Amino acid sequence: MEKATVVVIGGGATGLGILRDLSMRGVKAVLVEKNDLVNGASSRYHGLLHSGGRYAVKDQEAAKECIIENQIMRKIGKSCVEPCGGMFTRLDIDDEAYEELWVKGCADSGIEATPITLDEAFRLEPRLSRKHVKSAYLVPDAAIDGFRMAWQLIDSSKRYGGELKTYTEVIGFDTVNGELRGVKVRNQFTGEEYEIGCDIAVNAAGGWAGFVCKLAGVEIGVQPDKGTLIAFNQRIVNHVVNRLHKSSDGDIFVPHGSITILGTSSMSIPNPEDTSTSRAEVESLIKIGEQTFEDLRDFRILRTFAGSRPLYIPKGGAVGRSASRGFAIVDHEQDGLKGLFTIVGGKFTTYRLMAEKMCNQICAKLNNTTPCRTAEEPLVEEVSQADKDRAKQFFPSFGVNLAATRLGVDRFKKVVERLESEPESRELVCECENVTRAEVEEICKDDTSFIVNDVRRRTRIGMGTCQGNFCALRAAAVFADMGVESTSKDSLTRMREFLQGRWKGIRPVLLGRTLRETEMTRSIYELSMNVTGGAPK
Amino acid sequence: MRPLDVIVIGGGLAGLMAAAVAVNRGQKVALLTYGSGSLPLASGAIDIINAQAPDIVINNLPAHHPYKKIGLKAIDAATKFFCDITAKADLPYNGRLSAQIPIVTAVGTLKYSALVPESMDASNLINKKKIYVVELKGLKDFYASMLVDNLKKYFPDKSFEVAKLDLDLLGGRDITCMDVAQLLTDNEQALADGLKKLNATEDDAIIIPPILGLEGNSSRTAIKPQLRAEIFETTCLPPSPPGIRLQRAFIKYLQKSGVRIYENSKVVRGVVEGKTVKGVVVENAVREKVFPARKIILATGGFYSGGITMRDFDKPFEPIFDVPVFFPQGEGNWSNRNLFENRPQGFAMTGIFTDENLRPIDENGAILFDNVHVVGANLGGSDFIFERSAGGVAIASAYKAATI
Repeated sequence: MEKATVVVIGGGATGLGILRDLSMRGVKAVLVEKNDLVNGASSRYHGLLHSGGRYAVKDQEAAKECIIENQIMRKIGKSCVEPCGGMFTRLDIDDEAYEELWVKGCADSGIEATPITLDEAFRLEPRLSRKHVKSAYLVPDAAIDGFRMAWQLIDSSKRYGGELKTYTEVIGFDTVNGELRGVKVRNQFTGEEYEIGCDIAVNAAGGWAGFVCKLAGVEIGVQPDKGTLIAFNQRIVNHVVNRLHKSSDGDIFVPHGSITILGTSSMSIPNPEDTSTSRAEVESLIKIGEQTFEDLRDFRILRTFAGSRPLYIPKGGAVGRSASRGFAIVDHEQDGLKGLFTIVGGKFTTYRLMAEKMCNQICAKLNNTTPCRTAEEPLVEEVSQADKDRAKQFFPSFGVNLAATRLGVDRFKKVVERLESEPESRELVCECENVTRAEVEEICKDDTSFIVNDVRRRTRIGMGTCQGNFCALRAAAVFADMGVESTSKDSLTRMREFLQGRWKGIRPVLLGRTLRETEMTRSIYELSMNVTGGAPK
Repeated sequence: MRPLDVIVIGGGLAGLMAAAVAVNRGQKVALLTYGSGSLPLASGAIDIINAQAPDIVINNLPAHHPYKKIGLKAIDAATKFFCDITAKADLPYNGRLSAQIPIVTAVGTLKYSALVPESMDASNLINKKKIYVVELKGLKDFYASMLVDNLKKYFPDKSFEVAKLDLDLLGGRDITCMDVAQLLTDNEQALADGLKKLNATEDDAIIIPPILGLEGNSSRTAIKPQLRAEIFETTCLPPSPPGIRLQRAFIKYLQKSGVRIYENSKVVRGVVEGKTVKGVVVENAVREKVFPARKIILATGGFYSGGITMRDFDKPFEPIFDVPVFFPQGEGNWSNRNLFENRPQGFAMTGIFTDENLRPIDENGAILFDNVHVVGANLGGSDFIFERSAGGVAIASAYKAATI
């Protein structure tokens, strides 16, 4: 039987943070995730590294945690963070009294909120509504790439012996006399079921935490709360732009590279798997968004997506927007199951702190006294300028930096060597995101690449302007060439699945220029490629 | 400016065909284009409808379908006219209204079309024993091993071999089929020499990406006699040489026939008097210009080409004449859960409804303009991609509009 000291359940930011922390403290840990990494709220979100301003009035404890973790993340995760800064703007329809409370809340929480003149605000954010915006402040918000952070956490964990099993679902727990002996899992592709022996298991399954608890016969108050977001094809804002009012729907814009994400809504749902979005949700987000940016409808919407926050609801607690964004650690020994912990709630921004507190408790049980070092040590080494310069011979410098931070030192070096020696590998599989064939092939080789979408999340193929129009064919072909055999599906099925994944987010925003892209997709794949394989009836 | 007989707005397949038919009938024609049309995206083959018996299927279509307004006779005449024009432009097409000719796609499926460029007609593939699939070193978007894997499913008994040719294409980066076709135009001997080395026989077939030039059939004509095996081109990701060849063949024909082509001419509105459009207004960087004409053919395309646009949900519109656009209302009717499904997509049915003479009508069936005719992808009522009728509707509606 496979054995580890700790099994971490859930490949979101929290679980990954725990895996890294335990590994750095010398605890043998393995993480199991039933899908690919960051399949839940850790990628289906704004990509906002909070300054804490958002919580300065309602929840100052959370605000203080945010600003501290924000500073730490900038230091340890430099290449995941885009330090674009944030702006809070109050509109004419927003409560002036709230502004006073907020200024005080920021001061009390240690968040630097600098008032700026409206002229300055319009200079920094020219698209802001001159009609509605009445006051503005700068805060240290930033944008953060959840995908990149996830794989950097894994790289860091692996350096210390941490192990990862994606597409591995927990199906039960092995207990003897109320004591945990192991976690039963199933490989999602082969169907193989087996047990990983362990002393401790941590349920960090986010929105799925309730289901995991149920498998162990214990209970936890977790409410999946769906948030819908819209990705625009342009960089509409230079800063993270927040509405200065009581937190509500559609009031945050976050710039990421060449796109902008607007969100979000808040809706309690029974099933965290529900990531559906509707035209009504999109319409309502735009309606609110255009109060801050009047010409919002002129920008092309790339897609929409949704994720569910795992809100912790203690017995009799509030739900939805009023529920606390704080987190809770539950030792299920209190429920008669020794060895199982659940960590639930919290925010992406404070994942590291959550992991630290969780690991402190675990280590206390294990009599491990090694202190936590996750706040000091950077997630990954930086790629050297020399390697970047070598890469610049072959592709645009904009793409070099992105590829370097996506790949990390070792893989980047390998990719650059291939670019140097094999001119064919320089071709771009994805022109929108500047991804070379060498990079795609390198990622295909990775032990977490099972389906084309896994490669997409790591390389960003298919995530740009054309939403997979060109790279669906190329990626499926490269994938087939690389002999990734985890599924028996043929290249046509892979292509269709990849495009279907993109379609899910396009459907609710099928208007304007996105309609044009869709007609191009259909023209290529149905008319020129006949990927459905049909013959005349 | 004296009024023209016909003004065609739009340089896609429908617009080019309408101008060709009109000028062929001795009319004075101008073609106004803005952008390059969608032919460089297209496979180059003309699909009429996905059916073994197209005439029966077309006869049974609902009354609002463009084919029902055009009629089988005009569809048939259009295919003949199309083949005639392309043959004259040294871009011979095989097929007819009721044909279903196989083409090998870039991913190794077979696609069936009514009218197919000679270079892509894979009808004889079935008679071959061995199939060579030729990759070019440095050419992007052509993956021979994937193609073979998928094509094998149609021909499990044949033997396949992937061959790699080095035409010294590397140097720059990202070479597409169009780049190679450009390079090989009137310069095909290197390819011929490479293919000869395969020693393929009469029993064999050679499948290559569509790289045989960008002008007509001349590269193929030069290579063919040097090989014993038959050679077939596939489709490809855009830009697509077979589509570009078709576009160039038509443009050459139009220019030779005296059609004035005004590029980069964005038509912004019509000059309307009652139910007659007296001309159209073209806007360029510095001024507006009126083109008077007796007949207007609207070939501006659908959502892809901007002939119909939609900024807000449930509000599609036609930007030049603002004629009513019919569309399926509500989110549930707008699109299917799956991108590829065994039924049409609602949004793709969006378009203008017309009378029997392809003149735009309102929701009560009243004709809005006596001398405006709508052709190609901005016709409403059917998902041309799903039913594999995009090319057929384009050429047949153009033929009908130009012969009225």
